[in-house]
Amino acid sequence: MTTRTAPARRRTGRLAGAAAVVRRRLLVAVPVLVATSVGMFALGAASPVDPAKQYAGAAAFTTSEENLAQIRANWGVDDPLPVQYLRWVGNLLRGDLGWSTSRHEPVTSVLAARAGWTLLLIGVTLAVVLLASLLLGALAAYRRGGLFDRALRAAAYAVESMPVFWIGLAAIAVFALALGWFPAGGLTDVTATGTSWPDVAHHLILPVAVLAVSQAPWFLLFVRDAVAESLRDDHVLAARARGLPGRTVLFGHALRTALLPFLTLVGTHLPELVGGAVLVETVFSLPGLGAVTVEAALGSDFPLLAAITLVTTAVVLAANLAADLAYAAADPRVRLDG
Amino acid sequence: MTTTQPATVPARPSDPRTSPLLTVDRLGVRFRLRDAVVHAVTDLSLTVHAGELLAVVGESGCGKSVLAHALLGLLPGNATVTGRALLHQPETEPVDLVSCGQRRLARQVRGRRIGLVPQSPATALNPVRTGRRLLGETLRAHGRDRGQADRLATDVGLDPADLDRYPHELSGGMAQRLVTALALATDPPLLIADEPTTGLDRPLVDHTLDLLRRRCDAGAAVVLITHDLAAARRVADTVAVMYASRVVEHRDGGDFFTAPTHPYAEALLDALPDRAFRPVPGHPPMLTALPVGCAFAPRCPRRADSCERAPQPSPVGAGTVACHHPILPGAAP
Amino acid sequence: MADLAARRPLLRPLRLRPRRAGAVTAGLVLVVAVAGTLLAPILWPLDQSAVALDQTRLAPSWGHLGGTDDLGRDVAHRAVYGLRVSLLVGAVAALVATVIGGLIGGIAGTLGGRVDRVLMRIVDTIAALPHLLLGIFIVAMLRPSLGAVIASVGLTHWLSTARIVRSELLSLRTRTFVDAAISGGAGRRRVLVRHLLPHVLPRLALATTLMIPHAVWHETALSFLGLGLPPHLASLGNMISDGEGSLLTGAWWASLVPGAVIVVVTLAIAVLAARWRDRLDPRVRAELHL
Repeated sequence: MTTRTAPARRRTGRLAGAAAVVRRRLLVAVPVLVATSVGMFALGAASPVDPAKQYAGAAAFTTSEENLAQIRANWGVDDPLPVQYLRWVGNLLRGDLGWSTSRHEPVTSVLAARAGWTLLLIGVTLAVVLLASLLLGALAAYRRGGLFDRALRAAAYAVESMPVFWIGLAAIAVFALALGWFPAGGLTDVTATGTSWPDVAHHLILPVAVLAVSQAPWFLLFVRDAVAESLRDDHVLAARARGLPGRTVLFGHALRTALLPFLTLVGTHLPELVGGAVLVETVFSLPGLGAVTVEAALGSDFPLLAAITLVTTAVVLAANLAADLAYAAADPRVRLDG
Repeated sequence: MTTTQPATVPARPSDPRTSPLLTVDRLGVRFRLRDAVVHAVTDLSLTVHAGELLAVVGESGCGKSVLAHALLGLLPGNATVTGRALLHQPETEPVDLVSCGQRRLARQVRGRRIGLVPQSPATALNPVRTGRRLLGETLRAHGRDRGQADRLATDVGLDPADLDRYPHELSGGMAQRLVTALALATDPPLLIADEPTTGLDRPLVDHTLDLLRRRCDAGAAVVLITHDLAAARRVADTVAVMYASRVVEHRDGGDFFTAPTHPYAEALLDALPDRAFRPVPGHPPMLTALPVGCAFAPRCPRRADSCERAPQPSPVGAGTVACHHPILPGAAP
Repeated sequence: MADLAARRPLLRPLRLRPRRAGAVTAGLVLVVAVAGTLLAPILWPLDQSAVALDQTRLAPSWGHLGGTDDLGRDVAHRAVYGLRVSLLVGAVAALVATVIGGLIGGIAGTLGGRVDRVLMRIVDTIAALPHLLLGIFIVAMLRPSLGAVIASVGLTHWLSTARIVRSELLSLRTRTFVDAAISGGAGRRRVLVRHLLPHVLPRLALATTLMIPHAVWHETALSFLGLGLPPHLASLGNMISDGEGSLLTGAWWASLVPGAVIVVVTLAIAVLAARWRDRLDPRVRAELHL
């Protein structure tokens, strides 16, 4: 009687433990965010840039010394650093991310207008990279040492040493300018009056492909090695001995178990993907966060830069948490409440 | 789940044997390592008939499991297999398992003609699948009804409810019964069972052995790979003793257990609790550094100068023994 | 290939050994690149300010291997000097990263305990940040300059080195020869200098070498974004950035040629470093990669 209900109870128990994992991850995430914000604030404070002049922009040269002093007083720039830090963090927590001196608008509206495009680029790319690397990596491992395996690995090593923006420029030269298949940049056609999804999709093909190709080698090589190893596992040999079809053995057994460590590693590789996205957005003039980041950096726009870095960090941490939960869902041996 | 203790040990089949099912001829398996070569199987010849239960016995590390993997083409890339292993089929040409290629093995042999109960059930089960899914998948791949899963579980002495557990939730004995059920799911004419009684308590050991015995009585063949001589004695028709990659004695079970001819076989039997309970002295040689002559000579009480040369299998009764100084029946003990 | 040669002994001498062939090629590429950049000022002096407005955007030819840019300057010629700047900055930045990582990993590995836990938590924290964004932030706060670029690389790339040094030291601590030295009465400093450093230094050197391509990419990325080296230090990244405008008019070589130089040179470094790593740690070269 009890044995029949036990497995079912175990499964709901695993899901119930998710809250504990979230709590544990938050315990790590909060110090990470605090440390990051302190670090950035310290760098900002050490910076030779005068925020008041930054705020005034070009007008700084004509603004009188009293006005600048007024701005400083308003902003509390001359307060002790800890006071300034706490005020800044307090504002952040209340949702006030500050005023972007390079864009001349609130940081929140900059983020609201642009973060979506960056997320779209990263999300679509991640999906493409994962699918492609799982499929190709598993096939390479299945026939390891074969022509396909060697060609794929050589290509992966070569692509790994190509800067992503160089791949982007080459792709523009070939697919946009020479062949004319795709637009060279932007998110919508110049003549378009609004944003239509087919148009956006057409514009995104090349950037997504470039970012995917540049990120793929790491994923591909990992999957290939993991599956190659897992193909020698006892349980995979046992599956072969039972006469299961090759496809089932490869994808259902070898890849399935090799996938588990891969899930958590995807999380750790996300920062790399974010960096690549900034560069790809710049190459293809996409209206995402990449372009404003560069603009903000050129203008030493501390509030915007800090907000972008903090928000990205938070998103990366959240993605890591999602990877953890996915891992727990995929591996019955992991007990979330443990 | 209770196990039924069989009242009688099933009778052994009468001697006029049916046609051979598997003929292994001078099979050799070597592994290339960075700085050594492992001779896992050397010059091994065996025949298995339909309805026969052959027990391959020997200490661990003598090449028994490699033999099983070699017959199914599951060895890693650094292995070299020589010789022949002909699998006879009712209507068509026999297949040489050594040379027929992975594709043919996968489509015609594994699961369909030869089943395997793998060693170490704890690692032989996919950790992210329940027993029911594994069984269902295997049954479906062979065009069988998935509803048989419960019956298969019951056959091996596993509570069908336990099929819904993940492998890490099973005890060693439960996992062992599950891998046996998986191997039986395809009902192969030849079953290779590699240590199928590990982790089972005595009633379950007997249950599993009798299950294998019944398969043979129904006309299938079983190769039982084990280091447990008591298990072999219970069910085996024929016994092959492996020592340091070779078969040193291959004889009818009854003859073997009453009067072993190879000194190593005798030493193994003497190690049984109901006999002298005396372990075999010394250690087996490394498979990377096998001696030129008889590999058992350093541990052998009957060794002489002639043991410097490798002994070839020679007939004794209906079987063979590879020894220069066999213990022949009738000679003084 | 290998199977064929194994079956036919006559073919054995002809057996291709791709790993070795790759390493030799990579070595040659690096020698040429380094010698070229070192000797360029003598052999092929460059006048940075020279412009030839009658020769703008010429396609690659025998006269101009890499074509000319929109000011009529020879792209291949400038790329040699760009590589000089990029490699130099990359090497210095990699060295800075190694020093930071070596110090932090060294402290964590020798002291262990709570210090180790705190330092490694910091390492994990920084690893969770997108390091290009962090690098951009650092450059922005320091204002784009040579020093800012080096700081940006150094502060974002030391993590792997710290982890390597720490784990190497921790694993050495458990080995018997260290115990033997300590029980033999050797002081902590003596053990560190005489016994641990000789083991750690080769790995540190390898880590630095492996770091150079990453440092070059980081510098190039910053320069491409206009946040890197000032224009008068024409690094490869600056050249790619300058050439981006010509790309749309069809003069692809102005940006793609300098990029190709980066690809070839960093690939050569990576191939050689991988070979070196195999030597240091044969276990990594498992059956999988043969």
